[in-house]
Amino acid sequence: MMDLFLTVFSAAFFVTIIRTTTPLLLATLGGLVADLSGALNVALEGQMLIAALTAVIVSVYAPWYVAVVAGLGAGALLGLIMAFFALRLKADIILVGFAINILAAGGTVFALALATGGDKGTSINLPSQAIPMLDLSFLGGIPGVGPTLAALLSGHSVLSWVAAFLVFAIWYFLYRTPWGLWLRGVGEYPAAPEAAGIPVNKIRTWSLIVSGALAGLGGAQLAMFNYVGFTRDMTAGRGFIALGAVLLGARHPVGALLAALLFGAFEGLAVVMPGLFREIPAELIRMIPFIVTILALVLFSYRAQQLLKMRSGQ
Amino acid sequence: MSSAPIVKPQRWAAFRRELFRNVGALLVAMAVTTVIVFLTSKAPLEALTQLLTAPAAKVRTIGLWVDDIAKLTITGLAFSLVFQARQFSMGVQGQVYIGAIASTYVVLSPLGQTPFGLALGVLAAMAAGAFYGFLPGFAKARLGANEIVSSLMLNYIAIELCNFLVRTALPLPQAGVLTTIDFPESAVFPALVDKTRIDLGLIFAIVAVLVVWFALYRTAWGLKLRLVGHNARFAEYAGIRSTFIMVSAMTASGALGGLLGAMFVQGQTWGKLTVQFEGGLAFEGILVAIVARSRPLAVPIVAIFYAYLRQGASLMNVRTDVPAEVIGVVTAIIILLVSSTFSLNFLTRWFKRGPAPVATAPAVAEGATK
Repeated sequence: MMDLFLTVFSAAFFVTIIRTTTPLLLATLGGLVADLSGALNVALEGQMLIAALTAVIVSVYAPWYVAVVAGLGAGALLGLIMAFFALRLKADIILVGFAINILAAGGTVFALALATGGDKGTSINLPSQAIPMLDLSFLGGIPGVGPTLAALLSGHSVLSWVAAFLVFAIWYFLYRTPWGLWLRGVGEYPAAPEAAGIPVNKIRTWSLIVSGALAGLGGAQLAMFNYVGFTRDMTAGRGFIALGAVLLGARHPVGALLAALLFGAFEGLAVVMPGLFREIPAELIRMIPFIVTILALVLFSYRAQQLLKMRSGQ
Repeated sequence: MSSAPIVKPQRWAAFRRELFRNVGALLVAMAVTTVIVFLTSKAPLEALTQLLTAPAAKVRTIGLWVDDIAKLTITGLAFSLVFQARQFSMGVQGQVYIGAIASTYVVLSPLGQTPFGLALGVLAAMAAGAFYGFLPGFAKARLGANEIVSSLMLNYIAIELCNFLVRTALPLPQAGVLTTIDFPESAVFPALVDKTRIDLGLIFAIVAVLVVWFALYRTAWGLKLRLVGHNARFAEYAGIRSTFIMVSAMTASGALGGLLGAMFVQGQTWGKLTVQFEGGLAFEGILVAIVARSRPLAVPIVAIFYAYLRQGASLMNVRTDVPAEVIGVVTAIIILLVSSTFSLNFLTRWFKRGPAPVATAPAVAEGATK
């Protein structure tokens, strides 16, 4: 138990949490943008998976930032496909989302087998690259807090910093710009913005594209930093956990950050626990993020319902 | 989903329209697959021949095909039930694993040696699956917890639980393998046709189709369920407790999921519990249910076609250089086209209008999500 305590409160574990949180946070932000515009994006999982593979394959031939942009682009393209089928061809958006997930589960293995010449499990024989860490060890020079700051802030992926910035940027966009107001209005009550001449479907289309792009960034982080290389089904439910995190975060960017941090922390715990407790079976440790997601979802829904009752009681 | 028996000619027209749409979707999907195969394979014609003819070529492969039909029918029915109630519970996969675990525990206990072992195993699986389907339904009805997220999380938990139990708790033939000992002969579904995988599961699938059809279209519960699916608010005003209907639909669907679990582990396919035994089949019920428009009687027909494609793809995978996973592309395209307002007319109109479609389509006031 003492070991666990020491690990959890170490700077290295903080760095682990940030690492496990980043893909989740990016996907959660993606889910948030789509959800607020009234288009539930259940394809986050598939978008991350396809983006992860795209990023890995592109990184074999191009610099890492091109690969990241390719992952982002793959996610955005999938978002556009969703928008086309859900908004223009009036398909149910949840079914469209699951079609994307099925496409991703099969399509990535298919493409992986082609890219590696037959290997359906991993991209281990592809020389793919990683996203560089941002080295902030110069902070150690600050007297007093310097070494701590350096230990906490150094060694994160560039995309972790991007994700943190995006929380702020998306908050600013949603609550401080007219387009953000439009987007929220479209999600809240589409008839009103439509009557006011705001193009409802155009806004939903763009939010689905942005949503896919953010999930794509998450996928790139997953396959180019958390793990270097692609393995089949490597997202392992992260896109669905992100969907839960959107709800848990009360559909607000800061809430999304906190929810993603919560799930990221438990995932981080699942990463370090096998080394500490050999007697706890690996399968049970791998269950932790999913159990936590269900519990959080149930507790949050319960609280939200109580609040609603209190309000309507007055 | 105008399912009430109205006038016959209208029904036929609707049937023909559906048929054309589905065949059109299948053709588009197969065309895309053909292009992919030609771009990636060294022997594209050989691969396509395998995909399209291999399942019907031998008795053994026909057995595989029929076995898949039975299983796809059950998962298609499970998804149809929840889709008819407009619930998006995605938990069939988890129910399959939980059902299989329950069935394994019963069958490997002394009970499994008795003549009732087979039936008890199936019942235990159905009960466990029903419970697992009930959980997200209850969480949604009572607390408003999103059923998509909770049912998906339960899937992952069930898979890990199965891995865990097989590795640590259940009797294994030797250390290190990830399959349990064989089930007692009396608890394994008898084969209907010798030396094939066609077994009792096929009978279960036929019975399940009839039972689900009867429940949905000939009982008050089914009428209420369909009303809730059409318009939950209207159903509430009509005095139907939509939360009860919701939970019971998910529970019944869970029982079907559990039954599928028993069909896997007690069937001729395995006759034992192993990790990852389901091979992603459970989720393909989504496609079956969507193409069948969630109609129980249409589900087996769709399953026949889809099972053929599935087996064709896996045989192609073994015999040529095209991976079976290409079928994921077919599945996705079919779901996208069938669940949308796609029709071949639409395509021709679209091309006539020129390559630059107007970006701002007339917005829908209703919105795409409800």
